[in-house]
Amino acid sequence: MSNPSITGEATEEYLATVVAGAEAVRKARRRTNRRSRVPLWATLVLLVSAVYFLLPLYATAVFGFSTGKHFTLQPLWDGLGDDGFHSSLQLSLFYSVVTTVLALAVVAPTAYLVELRFQRLRATIEFLTILPFVIPPIILAVGLSAMYGINSPVNLIASSWAPALLIGGYFVLTVPFVFRAVDNALRAVDVRTLSEASASLGAGPTRTFLRVIVPSISLGLVSGALLAFTTAMGEFTLAALLGYATFPVYLLNINGYEPRMGEALVLVSFLITWAGVIALAAVARRAPGTQIVRGGPM
Amino acid sequence: MSRLELINVSKRFGDQVAVSEFSLAVEDGELVSFLGPSGCGKTTTLRITAGFETPDGGAVIVDGVDVTDLPPNKRGMGMVFQGYALFPNMTAAENVEFGLAVRHRPVVERRARVAELLELFGLSHVGKSYPHQMSGGQQQRVALARAVAIQPGVLLLDEPLSAVDAKVREELRTEIRRMQVQLYITTILVTHDQSEALSISDRVVVMNRGAIEEVGTPTQIYAEPRSAFTAGFIGAMNEIPVRVVSGTQRLIERDGRRVSAPGAAGLLDGELGLLLVRPELLEPLGSTTEALNGDLLLTGRVEVQTFLGATTRLLLRELPAAAGDRSALPTTRLLAVDVASASASRWPAGSDLRVRIPVGASRVIADRAAAGAAQPSTSALTGSAASGA
Repeated sequence: MSNPSITGEATEEYLATVVAGAEAVRKARRRTNRRSRVPLWATLVLLVSAVYFLLPLYATAVFGFSTGKHFTLQPLWDGLGDDGFHSSLQLSLFYSVVTTVLALAVVAPTAYLVELRFQRLRATIEFLTILPFVIPPIILAVGLSAMYGINSPVNLIASSWAPALLIGGYFVLTVPFVFRAVDNALRAVDVRTLSEASASLGAGPTRTFLRVIVPSISLGLVSGALLAFTTAMGEFTLAALLGYATFPVYLLNINGYEPRMGEALVLVSFLITWAGVIALAAVARRAPGTQIVRGGPM
Repeated sequence: MSRLELINVSKRFGDQVAVSEFSLAVEDGELVSFLGPSGCGKTTTLRITAGFETPDGGAVIVDGVDVTDLPPNKRGMGMVFQGYALFPNMTAAENVEFGLAVRHRPVVERRARVAELLELFGLSHVGKSYPHQMSGGQQQRVALARAVAIQPGVLLLDEPLSAVDAKVREELRTEIRRMQVQLYITTILVTHDQSEALSISDRVVVMNRGAIEEVGTPTQIYAEPRSAFTAGFIGAMNEIPVRVVSGTQRLIERDGRRVSAPGAAGLLDGELGLLLVRPELLEPLGSTTEALNGDLLLTGRVEVQTFLGATTRLLLRELPAAAGDRSALPTTRLLAVDVASASASRWPAGSDLRVRIPVGASRVIADRAAAGAAQPSTSALTGSAASGA
């Protein structure tokens, strides 16, 4: 006669579990409801910042795409047809591409070697890569012009080495971004074991780096490149103070005498920058699970 | 396909001695395991062999050529890493092909060899998969195929099976052995898993604190361990305290009973010793059976029964002996006795059991812990003939 009582107990226990479970679900639902309702202050902050950022854009658009009375795209066409626009954009593209390539070519192998062999230097390297954040570009500009400007015995600005000076400055400014991106990617893969595996198969250091490491950190390289490129494209202080007619410098100048044209171009360059940022975000979102895959539990 | 020699290899990391005076010759086509607890220097020795660590002293010789100063990529050794270390951006086939591409083999030859190896390791269907799409066992097979693809003179396996689950591990280790015999590759296997080492090796090197504890075939290592460390590390081993009556006459004494123990050769007269007996060699006796001449008896109470499958392990707490002077002997720790599971119900927990200790086949070692550091222990460890005064 003991069996029924056991069953009864079991049923009671089961019921208790079910009730507890239902209670938990109800609580959880209430919690999510609360979370999904956005508080009033958050909405307010969002609205204020949206107005703060979007109003100037709207004003720019209204000013740039009108004659003062009605809508027109004429300032934009004027701008796109302007010689200064073409030359400055070409110049900026050239500087940015060279800077990006240079930064990747220097930083990626350095970060790899630090991770693989010179862990002791990590602190030093990290400190160096923070410096450009700490020291404002204006200091860099003043320093560079004193060192290599027209009053210096090493007058680079007036020589055919002028591009090298600006690219050097841009290199310093972009290295932190590239190093962070590459270093993060390197830390996510087991660099040491992969390198050893490659060596055991007969590959030398260069081949190992190019064939094994670079493909494994390609996403880090892409995001580092995008960051470097956009930084260099948008840089104003160095270029203006050292006297280079880059795109941002041109935009400021044109605003002085063809304001509507300038504003139209500003809007276009703003949209292009946004496209770049969105591309970057898309790349970054793809990152987990696609490339950064470990061989197995360590 | 090569003969590997390590001569007096030593390595320190700071104050830590990782490997000291390690000497070993691995014959052509032989599979030798380095077995030991973590931190015993087995992996460091392997990495020195591969060229990933530079030894502080000693030499690595392959086929008579000193390769100690060669970088790893010039040594032509295949290596399988603990975490597989497959290239994540390459498919299984590309991983296997990598070493051949480095060697600039013609594409046709490469493709043929890759197909052949994928076939050999049962990987043909995953050739186009990326590492993260494969199971642990498959990844490990790819790692093996990749290491073997370059036809290495020496194959180095660093805990190759530690990352896969138990069932796959047993399958894979048999497969590794089959492949190694078939391809006739001189192989070193580093492992902390004794069953892995014992099951597939030609010889086992037991390591402890950076040095070789002993080298022998799996049977030797298991049945006749020469040191207490090996005895304790490999399988379960009972250590039964005895007193050595005479090392030269090979007589030991316990519970007033003197028996002849060939294993006691070389021990000092009057020294405390440990009789080493595997649990499966202890023989339970019926209550009426009398001891046979020449063996020792021990009575204990069953504390725990552990079901192991075909056998069941009984853990006995020794009961005080009826006769004899035990005062000088330390008591036996819990004694493990393996009996057939079918008859295990005869000795439930709490029951008493008498077992016969087969002295004749067992080794006796000096009880270093009991005797203190003053006792010379090397003669006991090597089991060589009569010890000096």
